[in-house]
Amino acid sequence: MESGALFVAKISITSSMAVLYATIGEIFAERSGVLNLGVEGMMLMGALSGFATVHATHSLWLGVGVAMAIGGVFALIHGFFAITLKVNQVVSGLALTLFGIGLSDFLGRPLIGKVSVKFEPVSLYPLYKIPVLGDVFFSHSLLVYPAYLLVPAAYLFLYRTRYGLELRSVGENPSAADTVGIAVARLRYCYTFLGGVLAGLGGAYLSLAYTPGWKEQMTGGQGWIAIALVIFAMWDPLRAAGGAILFGFINAFQFYCQAAGITVVPGYILRMLPYLFTIGVLVIITRWEAARKRVGAPSALGIAFEREE
Amino acid sequence: MAKRLVLLLVVLLSVGLVFSAPCFAKMKVAFALLWTIDDMGWTTAHYRGIQYLKKELGDKVEVSYTEKVLAANAEQVLRGYAKAGYKIIFATTFEHMDPCLIVARDFPNVIFEHCSGYKKNDTNMGNYFVRMYQAEYLAGYMAGLMGYKNVGTVATQPIPEPIRGINAFTIGLKKGLKEAHVPYNPQKVNTVVWLKSWRDATNETLLAETLASRGHDLIRQMADTPDSSIAACRKGVPAVGYGIDVSAQAPCALVSTEWNWGVYYVDTVKRVLAGTWKPAADWWGFDKKGIKLSPFNASVPEKVRKKVLAEKAFLEKGIDNIFAGPIKDQSGRIRIPEGRKASDQDLLTMRWLVQGVSGKIPD
Repeated sequence: MESGALFVAKISITSSMAVLYATIGEIFAERSGVLNLGVEGMMLMGALSGFATVHATHSLWLGVGVAMAIGGVFALIHGFFAITLKVNQVVSGLALTLFGIGLSDFLGRPLIGKVSVKFEPVSLYPLYKIPVLGDVFFSHSLLVYPAYLLVPAAYLFLYRTRYGLELRSVGENPSAADTVGIAVARLRYCYTFLGGVLAGLGGAYLSLAYTPGWKEQMTGGQGWIAIALVIFAMWDPLRAAGGAILFGFINAFQFYCQAAGITVVPGYILRMLPYLFTIGVLVIITRWEAARKRVGAPSALGIAFEREE
Repeated sequence: MAKRLVLLLVVLLSVGLVFSAPCFAKMKVAFALLWTIDDMGWTTAHYRGIQYLKKELGDKVEVSYTEKVLAANAEQVLRGYAKAGYKIIFATTFEHMDPCLIVARDFPNVIFEHCSGYKKNDTNMGNYFVRMYQAEYLAGYMAGLMGYKNVGTVATQPIPEPIRGINAFTIGLKKGLKEAHVPYNPQKVNTVVWLKSWRDATNETLLAETLASRGHDLIRQMADTPDSSIAACRKGVPAVGYGIDVSAQAPCALVSTEWNWGVYYVDTVKRVLAGTWKPAADWWGFDKKGIKLSPFNASVPEKVRKKVLAEKAFLEKGIDNIFAGPIKDQSGRIRIPEGRKASDQDLLTMRWLVQGVSGKIPD
């Protein structure tokens, strides 16, 4: 029996990883100016293809690779509509989610209830020996640890590298970026693809590590939470990590209180908080121009780029 | 001349159809299902019932089903079947209740059976359910005999059906603990947490892991996916499965409490074929095999199995004293006095938890 606080801290991390990967991916896509509402669909396709691969080959890492590739391919479908055909991105993204749900339901039917190998928790030597923190952070499955590197890497990439600057410029002012010779469409394709790859990884985390196996619509809306989290995090990877774990924490905490027989705040209220905060952020950034600039909603988000000849 | 010929043909055809129809056409039976037939929970259990019906009466009936019939399109699906000449239509989830009532009124010659609700009419719509609580009682009894005195239950929606199940499980658990002479805390043998959903794999996992980490020695799954049992296995804690046998996915499951709809479907169809069907509110227990207990896990001792099966034999004979007084609720107040037994009406409207359950019914 572990101590309650430690357990809640630990499970806040395990239960938020899928959302975290998907959120970081969506930040990349949105930073490049492509709003992709297809996250739920990409996660589901990732979860299904990852599990199907592992079920057939018993190779976990191959499964993860396939999940990421399929997630990316799905994102490219959205990319084609949003970037090349310049259709309404909201419609195209929603279509991708509906398509992903339907296709994964259909293709996944023979796999429901099947059992295969899965990622088991691996304590990371020697870090797990750190008192308290070791247990909370370093005794998870191997699909959790890459996130610890991904979050700071994404941050540094966005704000400290030339590529990150190009990425942001494409999302903020594609015409200017184009003028200085940045290939706007190509970059948008790349980061939309990356978004899909990470969403696929998030899906694989669910089907291969957290709730192993395939079930219809097993993401249960986590793709939508990821999209909300992007706004909650104001398009920043570090805040996204904090936000994802906060979402995970609130959920874990209210269940823990139930199990322990403690009533602090009604569970309903706790569950509402992250969404209320997201709405709050939306209000702020749409109401005040100054805030909008500071928190960094990409100015060209959701707007197709028309090159002026 | 031509006119006469046509008339003659029509007459001949109609006569032929009228007389030959009963000889050739099988009776058509339809099922409206909540989710997909392989959802490993509620709908899989109904589908197994459909397969059983086909096996037993496949020569007499033709069976169709529609998956994912949600509240919004239930009426349309039921009406479609009624129009298409189906003779019996089973609506298999609570949300089909009101649509079923409406369609039943419009098609008085079609027989409707609704599962898990409380409405019926006097002509052509009955309802049915099975006494899952009896199986839960047996599972609890088994757990008690094996000495599990700190069970954690991943409960679903706070309505009478799960509440009754939790109570029966806890009553069985305390009986088992007493017989095994295991000391226990009478206020807290079964801790209940609510998912507020019938199926939600991620949170089922989260809840089961939370309970396991708090030192609960057995996880009782009540949701519609095996995930809380799977999570228990992963944490090295045994589980009790629900709905279907979960041992393939969760090898640590000691036993599962299963729906057994097939026998009801076969019986109903037989009654309709024989012309003896009447709208009723059926609630089948072990006496009519409406539910069953899966095979035990190898780790369940022979002595325990014998005792559980002996208790089951009573239920099979129709002797159900699970909710016989005195039974106290969580506050210690006597809800069912000595010498009395909860009526079916009491059971169907149960909104209180027995002593020994820790955790509240959420608002």
